This record gives sequence, structure tokens and C-alpha cells, in this order.
Amino acid sequence: MGKSMKKDKRKGAGKDGRWWMTVAPLYLFTIFFVALPLLYLFVLSFLTRAQTWGVVNEFTLENYLKIGKPVYLNTFKESFQLAVLTTVSTLAIGYPFGYFMARLSRRAKSLMMLLVVIPFWTSALMRMYGWIIIFRSNGILDKVLMALGLIHSPLKLLYSYPAVLVGMVYSLLPFMILSVYSSTDKMDWSLVEAARDLGASRWTAFWTITVKMTLPGIMSGIVLVFIPSMGLFFIADILGGGKVMLVGNLIQAQLQSGRDWPFAAALSVMLMLFTSVMIWIYRKVAGVRELEGLL
Amino acid sequence: MKMTRWTKRAALLMAAVMAMSGLQGCGGSSDGSAGNDGGQAEAGGDRSDAGQAEAGAAGDGAGAGQTDAGDSGKDKAKDKKGAGELNIYTWAEYVPQDIIDRFEEETGIRVNYTNFEANEEMLAKLETSGGGEYDIVIASDYIIKIAADEGLVMEIDKEKVPNYTNIDPIFQDFFYDPENTLTVPYGPGIPLLVYDPSVVTCDITGYESLWDPSLQDSVALMDSERVVMGMALKTMGQSFNTEDLDVIRAAGDKLMELAPNVRVLSQNQTQDFLLSGEVGAAFLFTSQVVLALNQDPDLKVVYPEEGLGFGVDAAFIPSQAPNSDNAHAFLNFILDGEVGAEVSQQTYYLCPNKASYEYLPEEFQKSLVISADDIPNGEFIQDVGAEATSLHEEIWTEFKAALD
Repeated sequence: MGKSMKKDKRKGAGKDGRWWMTVAPLYLFTIFFVALPLLYLFVLSFLTRAQTWGVVNEFTLENYLKIGKPVYLNTFKESFQLAVLTTVSTLAIGYPFGYFMARLSRRAKSLMMLLVVIPFWTSALMRMYGWIIIFRSNGILDKVLMALGLIHSPLKLLYSYPAVLVGMVYSLLPFMILSVYSSTDKMDWSLVEAARDLGASRWTAFWTITVKMTLPGIMSGIVLVFIPSMGLFFIADILGGGKVMLVGNLIQAQLQSGRDWPFAAALSVMLMLFTSVMIWIYRKVAGVRELEGLL
Repeated sequence: MKMTRWTKRAALLMAAVMAMSGLQGCGGSSDGSAGNDGGQAEAGGDRSDAGQAEAGAAGDGAGAGQTDAGDSGKDKAKDKKGAGELNIYTWAEYVPQDIIDRFEEETGIRVNYTNFEANEEMLAKLETSGGGEYDIVIASDYIIKIAADEGLVMEIDKEKVPNYTNIDPIFQDFFYDPENTLTVPYGPGIPLLVYDPSVVTCDITGYESLWDPSLQDSVALMDSERVVMGMALKTMGQSFNTEDLDVIRAAGDKLMELAPNVRVLSQNQTQDFLLSGEVGAAFLFTSQVVLALNQDPDLKVVYPEEGLGFGVDAAFIPSQAPNSDNAHAFLNFILDGEVGAEVSQQTYYLCPNKASYEYLPEEFQKSLVISADDIPNGEFIQDVGAEATSLHEEIWTEFKAALD
């Protein structure tokens, strides 16, 4: 990006004052589809719900106070737990995956990349139904385990917390893999060689060089996994059998059956604040200023 | 240089938003199967059942509504007059495709079929368009009541709908249309308990039976707080629609005791859990009851002794419908005896058309007409005040936390 900017300058594209035309669509898009809706959401979160339908233009803090109720705080806690579990699991699986992927030959790399991306060609919903077929009682997994003699009666795996976790990890794993991959791929391996030459053990070299160098990729992977996993609700609905209530589910319920839009807006604002704070903490802790990889 | 940083930031933000909207998009599309609810006794989210069954019968795959919308979009471009159009807005596949085809053939009117996932979504859209854009909306009773109160419903000109007299009077005089001037009942139903006697050991007579400890982890319920809370309220001899917060709280306490027995909450294809052996007992919408019995006649159906729920999906014409004449023609068409029988057989809801009864095959006579006697005893789930609604939501959230 930096390169092309420089080139533009050299060519004098900046002089005729038309450079803004190239970025205008981006800004317009951001203003109309990001900033304004957010502003609307923010304002809405301070209004009062009407008796039956819609909202009344009456300022209140009630919506935010309501979030303080233990029952609603609990959904935040549940979502946070699930998001952390999901992020840790995807990191545990995705880091080695992305790391070794980057070390493959060029052909193998592009093949792996294709294989990682292919699931995106199918609707996420469809893929969740695939898990249902595997997990349900007397489903594929039960049959295999029973044939192996490991279990004797069907496990009730579906519609449980672990099933939701598997679904979350499965659907968000590619984000982690691709982030780690792109930063590992760019890494200067001579640094690792130098460390080894200077007597560092494999582990020390990995820990001090490789992990540090791929940290931006890890961080962007974490952010890309953590944020959606705080808000995703359809996986909890499908694999959790409607029994797992996350913030996303709560917001959806408030918009539909609850018809309490201001409360839903307040929940959304809190969710966004919460995830922003989390990202800030990540960056602070990791000392990473720019996120790399997919971003 | 400042420029670069800002551009970078904006790009970063946009990429994040796009990545998330991609995921959210999936979430949206899942609604249909996951949480099409509506806080409603009968009407709600189980249309895809009918759709599926229909797909089996007519070889008309899923997403018929969508392709249809696409096609008519093209046709719209061809035929600019717009006079020969009818815009139907309802759940996906709730109006069977062959019924639409037949209507188009007989009248020459092009049908544009748009679908929504939830009643609330429909009302929000209708409000935005000021009651325009659509000509026929089919939705649930309680939301029609709100729409009518907001002045979004057009009075039906009965001169233009001679078949209006075919409506069985037991499906009239309801709270959402006390004068019978606004709606045509389309899919009425009574949710019932269904259980597999080969698995269930206790005696199931009503909602109360679901609390039996022998049913641990083997009950499927609807994913709708008002319906499930309604069961708890009925076991206490209360109305679904009580606004007494203490009573609702007491029902909530009782509901918490049901948690260990609940295996799954679902709006769609709930009968499948029963058929596959995932659960032993389930509380099902009418269409699901019929489908379950079709596949496994050994299942037992229970009319809960504490009292029945009742719900009606009805068709209405929005106040500013662009093609109201065509809308009247459509209402008249579906109220035809033969067409009405066809609709009920494909949607698996009770048949509200008395002229249709003679066209219904015997097995449907039983399942789609039989419960008419029970309707006077059935109670609608209606809107309760904001405070009561909030309390229901709160209890529901707590209940779900107790489930996992």
C-alpha cells in the first residue's frame, strides 16, 4: 500500500486534488454503513420501549441499568467464557496448522490454502447441520464408537455446551489459520538460523524468535476469532438446541419476541464496548500496534 | 503520511465489518430454522415443515419462494405496467407453489412472493413502508392486532370476495378482528403434546406431566417464551395472558423445575426429535403433530387437560396495498372450497374453510377438521404489557441459563 501511495505522489496524482476520489467510496461506505447505524444504535439505547410496539422518544438509562441484573450479566459471562474457550482452542489447533502450512512447498501451500477456504463455499448453516448428523443420538459418531465397542448406548452429545464449542471452533478456525499462516510465511527464517547458530535450543529459538515474529498474526487471529464468537448466536441455537443463551441470542430475542429494541441496542452497545476493551487489552499486553495477517 | 494511517485504519475497520457481516449474514439466514418464533401459541416458525413435506410431494425444492421472487423480478422488468401484480409477504413456502401457479394461470396476475422469518420483522417492514409495498400479508394473530391498531390494515371489501362466506364461523370473531372485516383465516392450529408410548413410562395427560422425573432430558419444547411459560401458567390454573407479575414470577419458579427434563428447544421440525428418538415427548404445533403422526401412527397425541392454546395465522391487505383489487382476488381464490382444501393439505394446518371440508381426503378430515370442537376452549396468546413482557424475557433468559 505504501508503495503505491509513493508512486501516486511521484506521478503527481496528488497535485490535481483528485486523489480523494479514490478513497471517497471507502469513506462514504464507512459513514453510511458503519458510523450512522452505530450512532442510531447508540441513540436508540437511551430511548424507552413503547407498550406494544416501537419506541417512545423518552430518555432513560433504564436499558443500561437492566443489563446489571444478574440474569443478564450472566449471559455476558457465558458468552465471554465461550469466546475465550473458542479462542484458546482455535489458537491451539490453528497455530501449529498455520505454522506448518507456511513451511510447505509452494504447490502444497496453495493446495492447503484451497482446502482451508473451500468450506466457505458452503453456507455456514449447512455445515452446522453436518455436525448435527455426526453428533445426534445414533448418529455417525455414536455408530462408530459403538462399532468400536467404546460405548454401549448412544451418547447425548448434541444440544450441549461441548457441541456448541465444537461448532464455534470449527467455523472460526480458518481465521486463525490464515492469520498465523500469513505472518509465518513472511518471516525471515535466517533469524531462527542465526539463533540456532548462536547456540539457542530449538525451543528457545522458537519461543524467542518465531513466536515474537508471528505475534501480529496471532493477535489478528485472536481478534478475528474472539469478536465474532462473542456475537455469534446461530451456532448456539442449532448445536445447543436453543438451550445456550449468549449475548447474541439475547439481543435477537429482545428484537423479536421481546420487542424491546432499546434494550437490544443497549446490549449491543455494551457488547461492542466490551469487545473494544478486550482488543485494547490484547494490544497492550502483546505490545502489538498494528494487526497483521488478514487485516 | 497521516493520510496513509487513516486510510489504513478505515480499511482495517471495513475489513473487520465485512468479515463480521459475513458471519452475521449466516446468522440471519439461520433464523428460519433456529428461532422463528413470535411468542405465540400456534402460529410461529414451523413453516419449513410444510415446505419440506410439500417438496417431497411436489418435487419442488427448498427456496421456492426465493426463485420465485427472482423470476418475478425479471418479469417485472418485462411488464412495466405493474397492474397485473400481486405482492405476497409471508413465511417462506407458506403459500404452496402450485397454489400460486394456479392463481397466476387463472387470473393472469403475476405473483411476487417475499418471505420473512418472524412476525416482528414483517411488522417493522410494513411500518417502514407505511402499509404499502405488499398486497397480501399472512401473519400471526397477535401481530395482526398490533398492525390493525397502528392503522396498517385495510378493510376487506366483501363484495369483491364472494367466497368470504365460506369461512367457518368458528374461526371468526377473534380478538384481532372482532368485526370480521380485516382478515381471512389461513392457518389456524392448536399446539398439542405428542409422545412415544414405547419410551415414555409415565402417564401423560397434560402440561403437568412434563414435569415428571421419569422424563429427564427427554422433552422437546418450542423455543418461545410465551408458549413455554404458558404451559407453566396453565398448570397453575392461570391465563396465558396474565399481567400479574407475581403470578408470572411464580410460574417462572415452576418453570425452572422443568429444566432437567428439557432436551431441546426448537421451532422447526420439532417432530423430528420425536421421530428419531432424541426425545420421548414433545409440545408441537398442529402442522408438526400431523407430520409426526403421518410418519409414526403409533405416537400418542394428548389434548392437555389444563387447557388448550390456540392460534391463527390470517391473511390481510395492508392499508396502502398497491394492488388491492388483485389482493381481493387472491383472498377470494384461496377461499374457494377446492383451493382451500389443497392449501390445508399442504400446510397441515386446520382447515378454516367450511366449503373445503368435502374436498378433504378422509385422513385429513380427521386431522385437520377434528379439533374444531376444542376451539372454544382454546386460549390465544395475546400481547401483554411492557412490564409483563420484560419479565417473561427475563425468566426465559434465566431458564435457558439453567438448561445448559
